[in-house]
Amino acid sequence: MKKKHIICLAMAVFLMVCWSAADAAQPKLAKEQILNIAFDAGDLKTLDPHQAASTNDRSAVDPVHNGLVRYPPGDQVKLEPDLATSWKVSSDKKVWTFSLRKGVYFHPFPGFPKGYELTAEDVVYSLTRAADPKRSSYAGEYTGISFEAVDPYTVKITIDKPVSEPLFLAKFASYAGGFIVSKKAIETKGDEWIKINPVGTGPFMFDSYEPRQKIALKANPKYFRGAPILKQVVIRFMPAVASREFGLRTGELHIIEGLKEDKWAETVASFPDVVVKTFGPCESQVLHFNMAKPPFNDVRVRKAFSYAVSREEVAAFMGKGLAVPIYSPAQAPPAPGALTKEEAQKAGVIYENNIAEAKKLLAEAGYPDGLKIEVIISEMASSYQKPMIAIQAQVKKAGIDMALKVVDHSSFHSLIRDDASPIVYYASWRPNVDVFLTRFYHSDSVVKTGKKPDTNFTHYGAVDADGDGNVDSIDDLITKARWELDASKQAAIWREAQIQLLKHAAVVPIIRLKYNFPMKSYVDLGHPLEFSWATYSPQITEKTRILAK
Amino acid sequence: MFSYVARRILQSIPILLIVLTLVFIVVRVLPGDPAVAALGDYASKEAVNALREKMGLNAPLWRQYLQFIGDIGRGDLGTSIITGYPVAKQVAAVLPHTLLLTISAIILGYLIGVPLGISAAVRRNSFVDYFNRVFSLLGLSVPAFYLGILLILLFSIKIPLFPVVGAGEFSNLKDLLRHLFLPALTLGLLMTAYITRMSRSSILNILGEDYVRTAHAKGVAENRVLYKHVLRNALIPIVALGGLYAVVLIGSSVMVEIVFSRPGLGTLLVGAIKQRDYTTLQSVMIIYTVIVVLINLLTDLIYGLVDPRIKYD
Repeated sequence: MKKKHIICLAMAVFLMVCWSAADAAQPKLAKEQILNIAFDAGDLKTLDPHQAASTNDRSAVDPVHNGLVRYPPGDQVKLEPDLATSWKVSSDKKVWTFSLRKGVYFHPFPGFPKGYELTAEDVVYSLTRAADPKRSSYAGEYTGISFEAVDPYTVKITIDKPVSEPLFLAKFASYAGGFIVSKKAIETKGDEWIKINPVGTGPFMFDSYEPRQKIALKANPKYFRGAPILKQVVIRFMPAVASREFGLRTGELHIIEGLKEDKWAETVASFPDVVVKTFGPCESQVLHFNMAKPPFNDVRVRKAFSYAVSREEVAAFMGKGLAVPIYSPAQAPPAPGALTKEEAQKAGVIYENNIAEAKKLLAEAGYPDGLKIEVIISEMASSYQKPMIAIQAQVKKAGIDMALKVVDHSSFHSLIRDDASPIVYYASWRPNVDVFLTRFYHSDSVVKTGKKPDTNFTHYGAVDADGDGNVDSIDDLITKARWELDASKQAAIWREAQIQLLKHAAVVPIIRLKYNFPMKSYVDLGHPLEFSWATYSPQITEKTRILAK
Repeated sequence: MFSYVARRILQSIPILLIVLTLVFIVVRVLPGDPAVAALGDYASKEAVNALREKMGLNAPLWRQYLQFIGDIGRGDLGTSIITGYPVAKQVAAVLPHTLLLTISAIILGYLIGVPLGISAAVRRNSFVDYFNRVFSLLGLSVPAFYLGILLILLFSIKIPLFPVVGAGEFSNLKDLLRHLFLPALTLGLLMTAYITRMSRSSILNILGEDYVRTAHAKGVAENRVLYKHVLRNALIPIVALGGLYAVVLIGSSVMVEIVFSRPGLGTLLVGAIKQRDYTTLQSVMIIYTVIVVLINLLTDLIYGLVDPRIKYD
C-alpha cells in the first residue's frame, strides 16, 4: 500500500474515532419528548398571568409568557434581558427606555393562525392592564407609573417617584404583572377567554385544557431562544400524594409536587430512577400576634410566647434538609434587606428559647397560671399544621394552652382576614422586602379596618405595641426605604424596620420550608435548580429534555 | 307502565328542589370566599372585590337563589365561577367515565358475585362456603381507596401491567380498557362482596321452599333444580337490592377516581368543594340526584320485569 494511502486511512480512522467519542459524549434523548408534571391541585384557577397565583397556575403560565426582563431559570437573583434587549434610565431616574427584541411572535390564536409580531403597543397594553386593579392582582406594583410606545420597538416607562434599579426592574420581570400578554388576543376574545386560553411569546403554547384533569402545552417552534426540545408539557392536577407517587414510580409522571417532609422525601428518593430536588427560596413561616385584643395586646405576653418558642426545634421537627430557622419578619435571606441571624442577635431581638423567662413575663402580665387560647390554622399539613403542633408543645411548657382549630385552607384565609384568630401562623413569599413590609406591617394593610385591608394581622401601625401609650408604626420607614435609590441604604432602612417589629415582639419568625419536587433522574431541566420563586416549582424551558433511560 | 314512569318523574321534582335548596344554603354558609380561593392570598382587596362582583356574589342571596333555580329550570348548568368554563361541558366530559366505571363494576360484581353466592349456598358450611363468606366480609369492610392502593402496588408497581394515571381516550379502546381495569376491579370487588352475600342468603331461602323439595323428590337433576327453579326466584331480590347498591357504588367511585386520578363526577365534585366553585358544585349535586332517582326508577322497572307478580300502571 502506498504511503499516501496509509496516511489517508489513518486519518479516516482517527476522524471516525473522534466522531464516535463525540457522539457518545452527547446524551441520547428519549424518543417521546412529552413531559408529565403533577401538582397538588384540584384544578386550575386561572391562566391569566396577571391573576395567576397558585403553584400549578404559575407553572403553566411561566413557559407561555415572557417579560421585558427575566431572572435566569433556576438561579433567580440577578436579572437579564428577555423581551427587551437593553434599557437606559434618565439622570433623574424617572424615565426608563426599553429597546425591544425584533422578530418575537405571539402564539397563534383564532383569527391569527400564524400569530403576529410583538411590538411596543402590546407591551404598553399589557403593562396598563397589569396596573388595572379590576383586571390584575398585581396592580399595586404599578401605582404612579405610566407607559408609552415611542416606536414599534421602544417602550418608555415613567415613574413618578424613582426607586432603586432592582426594585424597578422586578416589576417588569417575567413574573406576575410583568408577563406580556397579547393585545390583539384579549381585545378580540376578551378577559374571560384568556383565563383558559393564554397567548404569549414563550417557548410553549397553550394547547388544551381538561377541567380537573390537565393542561397541555405544546412547543413553540418560533421561540426566539430556539425551538424547545420537548414537544409537549402536560400539567396534571392530582391532589392525592399517593397517586402522584404511584405515577412517578410507574414512569407515567416525570416530575411531581412533593410533601415538605423529610421522611417522605427519603422514602421517595429510594424509588428507582428518582431524585428529589429540594430548592428555595421558600415561603417564610411567621407567627403574627393580634395586638388589638387581649392577651397579645400586652408586649410581655408576646415576649413570653417568643421565649417559649424554639425555631431550631421546629426546624428539626420539620426535617433538617427542608426547614431552615429564620430571623427576619419579612423576606428571608439571601433577599436584599432581609434580616440575618447575626444582625438580629446584634440587635438583641432573637428571644432565645427560655421557659423560665417566659413564665416570669406571663406572671408579670397577670397570667401566673398560664393562659388559654384557641388559634385557627389551615389544614395544610406541611406549611401550617405540623409546625404549629410543634409550637403548641413548646409553649405548653410555659403554661400557654394553645388549642388548634383546623379549617380548610380557603376558610382559613377568609377567617384570618376577618380578624378571627388571636395568632395567625402564615406561610408566604413576596418578591422583595418592600412588598412584605407594606402588605404585612403598614397601617393601611390592617385586616378589616385598614384603609386598604390586606394581611396586617398584627394591626401594627394602628396600636400601641410597647405599652407607652403611643401608636407604634413603621409606615415612615417603609416609605423612606421605598424611595431610597441607593440599594445598600435601602436595605439598611428595611433592616431597621424589621428590628423595630421584633423589639416589640409583634411577630415571631419561625422557619422557611424548601420545596420538594421528586423527578425522574433522566429528566434534564436544562438549568440549575437553586431558587425558583417565580413558579415555586422547577421551571420548564426550551432546554428542558427527557434523556433516554 | 308509561304513566307509572311519568308519575315517578314528577314525584322526583320536589326532591330535586329540596336538594338544590339545601346545597345552595350549605355551600354559602361554609366559610371561604371563592374569589380569594381563585386569586390566592397575594391578590389585592380591589382585585378580590372585582372578581366577587363578576361572580355575582355581591347580589342578595334571594336573587342568587332565584337566578340559580331559573337557570336550572332552563337547563342551564351555568359556568364555573372560577374558570368560566361551562359546567355542562365539564359534566359531559366526565360523566361517561363515571358511568363506564360504575357499570363495569356492577357487571363484574354480578359476574363474580352470583356464582360465588351459588357455590356458597349449595355447599353450605363447607370450606367453599366459609371462604366465600370471609371474602365477602372483607370486601364489605375494606375501604375502596385502600383496596385500590393495594391493587396498584401489585398490578402496576410490582408487576407493571396497568397504568395508574388517567382514564385513557375513548378513541383508543385498548388504552381505555387498560386504564379501566384496576379501578373497575376495585369497585367491582366491593360489589362482588355484597352480591355474594345477597345471593347466598337468597338462594338458601329458596332452597328451603316446598316446591324445591318436591322437585328433588320427583328426581329432577340437581342442576336443573338449581338453575330453572331456584335461581330464577332467588335473582329477584338480588337484582333489586343490587340496583340500590349501585347508588353506594356511585359514592365509592369518588375515592376510586381520586386514587387512580381518573376524570369523573367525583373529582369534579371534590374539586368544586375545595375551590368554593358554587355553580359547579350545585350542578354536580343535581346530576347526582338525578342519577340516584333514575337508578331507583330503573331498579323498580327491572324488578317488575323479573317478577311477573308485579305490575306497574
